[in-house]
Amino acid sequence: MLERPLVLTGELAWLGGDRLRRSVASPYREQSDIADDTLRVQRDGRPPREMPLARAPELKGLLLSFQALLSGDAAALAGAFELRADGDGAHWTLHLVPRDAALRRRVGAITVDGSAREPRCLSLDEADGDATVTLLGAAAEPLPPAHVTRAELAARCSGAAAR
Amino acid sequence: MSLRARIVLLALWLTALVALGAGVATHLRVGSDLRSFMPPPATPDQKLLMDAIGEGPGSRLLLIALSGAPPERLAALSRGLAAALRRDPHFEQVGNGAFDAGLLDGQLLPYRYLLSPTLDAQPLDAAYLRDQLEQRLDDLGSPAAALLKPLLPRDPTLETLKLAERWAPAKSPQLRDGVWFSPQGEALLVAQTRAPGFDPAAQGEAQTALRRAFAALPGAGGARLALSGPGYFTVEASTRTRAEADRIGLVSTLGFALMLFAAYRSLAVPALIALPLASGALAGLAALVLGFGAVHGITLAFGFTLLGVAQEYPIRVLSHRRAGATALASVRDLWPLLLTAIASACIAYLAFYASGVNGLEQLAVFTIVGLLVAGFATRYLLPRVLPARFRDAADTPGLDALWRRLRALPRPRWLPALLAAAVAAAIALAPGPFWQNDLAALTPLPQPLLARDAALRAALGAPDVRYLLVIEAADADGVLAASERLAPQLDALVARHALDAVELPSRYLPSVATQRARQARLPDRAALETALAEAQAELPYKPGLFAPFVADVEAARTLPPLTPARFARTPLGARLDAMLVPRGGGWLGLATLTGVHDAEALRAWAATTGGAARLLDLKAASESLVAAYRVRILRALAVAAALLVLTVTLALRGARRAWHVLAPMTLATFLVLAVLRACAVPLSLFHLVALILAAGLGLHYALFFERDVGDAAEQRRTLHATLVCVASAVLVFGMLGWSSLPVLRAIGVTVALGVGFHFCLSILMAPHARQD
Repeated sequence: MLERPLVLTGELAWLGGDRLRRSVASPYREQSDIADDTLRVQRDGRPPREMPLARAPELKGLLLSFQALLSGDAAALAGAFELRADGDGAHWTLHLVPRDAALRRRVGAITVDGSAREPRCLSLDEADGDATVTLLGAAAEPLPPAHVTRAELAARCSGAAAR
Repeated sequence: MSLRARIVLLALWLTALVALGAGVATHLRVGSDLRSFMPPPATPDQKLLMDAIGEGPGSRLLLIALSGAPPERLAALSRGLAAALRRDPHFEQVGNGAFDAGLLDGQLLPYRYLLSPTLDAQPLDAAYLRDQLEQRLDDLGSPAAALLKPLLPRDPTLETLKLAERWAPAKSPQLRDGVWFSPQGEALLVAQTRAPGFDPAAQGEAQTALRRAFAALPGAGGARLALSGPGYFTVEASTRTRAEADRIGLVSTLGFALMLFAAYRSLAVPALIALPLASGALAGLAALVLGFGAVHGITLAFGFTLLGVAQEYPIRVLSHRRAGATALASVRDLWPLLLTAIASACIAYLAFYASGVNGLEQLAVFTIVGLLVAGFATRYLLPRVLPARFRDAADTPGLDALWRRLRALPRPRWLPALLAAAVAAAIALAPGPFWQNDLAALTPLPQPLLARDAALRAALGAPDVRYLLVIEAADADGVLAASERLAPQLDALVARHALDAVELPSRYLPSVATQRARQARLPDRAALETALAEAQAELPYKPGLFAPFVADVEAARTLPPLTPARFARTPLGARLDAMLVPRGGGWLGLATLTGVHDAEALRAWAATTGGAARLLDLKAASESLVAAYRVRILRALAVAAALLVLTVTLALRGARRAWHVLAPMTLATFLVLAVLRACAVPLSLFHLVALILAAGLGLHYALFFERDVGDAAEQRRTLHATLVCVASAVLVFGMLGWSSLPVLRAIGVTVALGVGFHFCLSILMAPHARQD
C-alpha cells in the first residue's frame, strides 16, 4: 500500500494491567491508549477516536505481546512469538515472529533493536510489505528527515550513528 | 334395555366421540392472535394497534443474557449464538455488539455516498481528500492500522465506518471481548423475532429454537441463558396460566369424581356423567372448525367456562331417577324443564352471535352447539347407557332432615328488597375503579422478572414497548422525508431529556430527494482524479491505490436511489422493513423510542407537527379496545337478558312464575357484583363471563325449585340434584379461586360465589316453600 516505511519517533509505555500507551512525537503528535479492549487514538486538534479491539481480534494478541515485552514477561512473550536474538550487549536485535496464524497474516515480523538496556527501534513488518518503524529514545535524535533512507534507518537502529 | 344393547350403544357413542375428537384435533387451529378475539377497531390508534399488535419492532425484541461462565467463554457463546440465530428463520435480526463490517454488501457499497450525511457539509475536493489521506497515513502508523487497512483502497474517507457508527444503537452496553456485557458480567444479545410479541404459540416456537441453538453451542454446558422482553413474558404468562389451570383441574376433577361417587354410590356414574359434556364440547369445537377454521385461545377458555352449565344436565337425570321407573321414563318427566333451561340459555347466547365481534360470535356458536348437543345427549343417549341398578337419591340419609330444615328457614318478605338495596348501595358506593381494562394485569409477572427486564432494557438501550412514534405519509418515501424533517426536532427533545433516544426510519435510509441531492454533489471521474492526484502529492501511497474509491464514487453518481425494497436485502433491511408499514392508502413509519421520561412533552410536540407525527400509546390503545369489547359484551348481555325473560315467561306460561325464577337469579347475580365491588376487585372480561356462567347455573336452581311437584320424594330428589350441582361447581371453581393468578381467581371466585348466592336465594325465594 505504501512506497516506503513510515518512520515515527516516540515512546511506548506499559501502564500496568492491560493498559498500554503509545505516544508519537513526530512527524505528528498522537497518543494511543489501549485499555478495556478499546483503542483510543487522540491526535492534536482532532476529536479522539475509539475503536473496539474486537474488530481485529488478532491485534489484541499483538498488544498483549507488547505488554509482555515491556513488562519483561519472557514466558508470555515466548508463548506468543518465535524468538530469535542476535548481537551482543552493545547492539542486539530481537526478532519476533507471531505464532498465531491469524496474526501472522497481518504482521510478518516484529524487530526490536537496542543497545545495552535501551531499545532503540521497533519495526513492524506487515505481511503486505508495508512497514512502520518507531524510533525510540536516542535513536530519534536528531529528528529524522521526511524521507529517511533504509541505510540511515539501519544506522539509527543499530546505534551506529551515535557511536 | 339389555346389558348387551347398553354396551353396544356405549361403544358406539365412545367411538363417535373419539372420531369427532380426532377430526377436531387435526382441523382446529387455535390462534393466539388477539385480532381474532378483539372487536373491530374504531379509532386510528386502535386500527394501528390491531394492524401492528405485538408486531411493533419493540415488542418483538427478545433480550438475552448469558451468564455462569468466565467472560471469554461467554463472549464466544455470544458470538456462536448470534451466528446460529442469524441462520434461524424464526429471527429477523440479531445483535450482540460485534462489529459487522458487512452492513452493506459489496454491490451496495457505492451507496455509502448517498446514505452518509458526511458530504452534505463537505465537498469531495482536493483539500478534504488531502486532510483525509494525511489522517489515514497517521492511522497506518497507529495501532488502528490493522483495523483500517482492508478498507483503505476503496474507502479512504472511511464512509463505511461513519455509517456503521450512525447505525449502531444510540446507547449500547460496554464491550468486552468485542461483545456486549452488562455491568453484572453477563453477555447480552438482542434478537428480533419474526413472530408477533403477543402470540404465545409462535413466540414459544422461536424461544425453543433459541434455547436449542444455545444448548447446541460448544461450551454451553454450565452457562445459563436468560430471556426477557414482551415475547418471553407472553410465553411465561400463558405457560404459568396453563400449568396452574392443569394442576388445579386435576385436583378438582379427582374431587368431583369422588363427590359423584359419594352421591350416587357408583363407580360408573362419574365416568358416564362426563359423556354428555364431552359430546357437547367436541360438537362445539367441530362447529367452530366448520364455521370459522381458527379460534382464539381466550374464546375457547371462555367457551369451556360457559359450557360448565351442561354438567347440570346429567346430574339432574341421575338424581331424579326414581324407583319403579326406567331412566328413560324419569328423563321424559324431567325433559320439559331441562329443555326450558337449555333453550333459554341458547336463546340468550344468540345475543352474542349478533355482537359483531368475531370472538363473541365464535363463543356463541361454541356454547349454543355445545349446550344443545350435551342436552340432547343427556335426553336420548345417557339414559340408555346408565346401569339398571341405582339408588333412589330421595333415600339419601339425612336429606329429608336437611330438606325440612331448609323449609323451616324464615323467609321474610322484606329480605329480597333489603338485599337489593344493599347491593345497589355497595355497587354504587364502593371505591376503586369499576373495570379492569389491562388484560396483562390478569396474568401479572413476578417482580424479579420485571426487575430483570428493566435492568436488561436499560443496559441494552432497548426500545420502549409502550410508546411508538407514528409518522404518516402518502408513500414510503414520504415517510422517510418526514422522518428526516422531524429528526432535528426529536434530537432537541432528546437533548431536553424527554426521552433517551429515538430510532427513525431515515436513520437507515434517506429519502430519494436527499439521495439525489447527495448524488448531485459528487464530483465526476475527471474532477475526482485531479483532486485525488493533488491530495496524494508527496504522500507515500502507491500510485493507483485508490482506483476502487474512484470507481465507487463514479458508480454512486449514476445509481438509482436506494429504495426500501432494495435496502431490504441488507442486514439492516429487516429493521427498516419493520419500521415502514403500508396501511390503507398511505404509509406509516414506526419510530421506536428508548427511555421515554416525559410522554406528555412528546405528545405535545407531536401535536405541533401538523399530523405528520403521532405518539402512539400501545397500552392506552389496547385498554380502549378491551373497553370497547366489554361494551359489546354488555350490550349483548342486555339483549340476552331480555331474550331470557321472554323465553322463560313463554315456557312457564306466565309472568308470575317467570318472576319467581328470574328474581332470585337476578338478585344473586347483582349480589356477586356487589361483593366483588365491596372487596375493591376491578371487573375484567373474565369476571363478566364467569357471572354469565353462574347466572346460567342459577337459572337451573331457580327453575327446579320453582317447580310445584307436591311429592315429598321428588322434592328431595330436586334438592339432591341441586346440592350435587352446587357442590361440584363450588368444588371446581372454588379451587380455581385459590389460584395465584388473577385470571383464574377471577373466574373461580366469581362462579363459586355466584353458585352459593344463587342456591341460597333460589331456596329462600322459592314460592312453594313459603306457601307451606
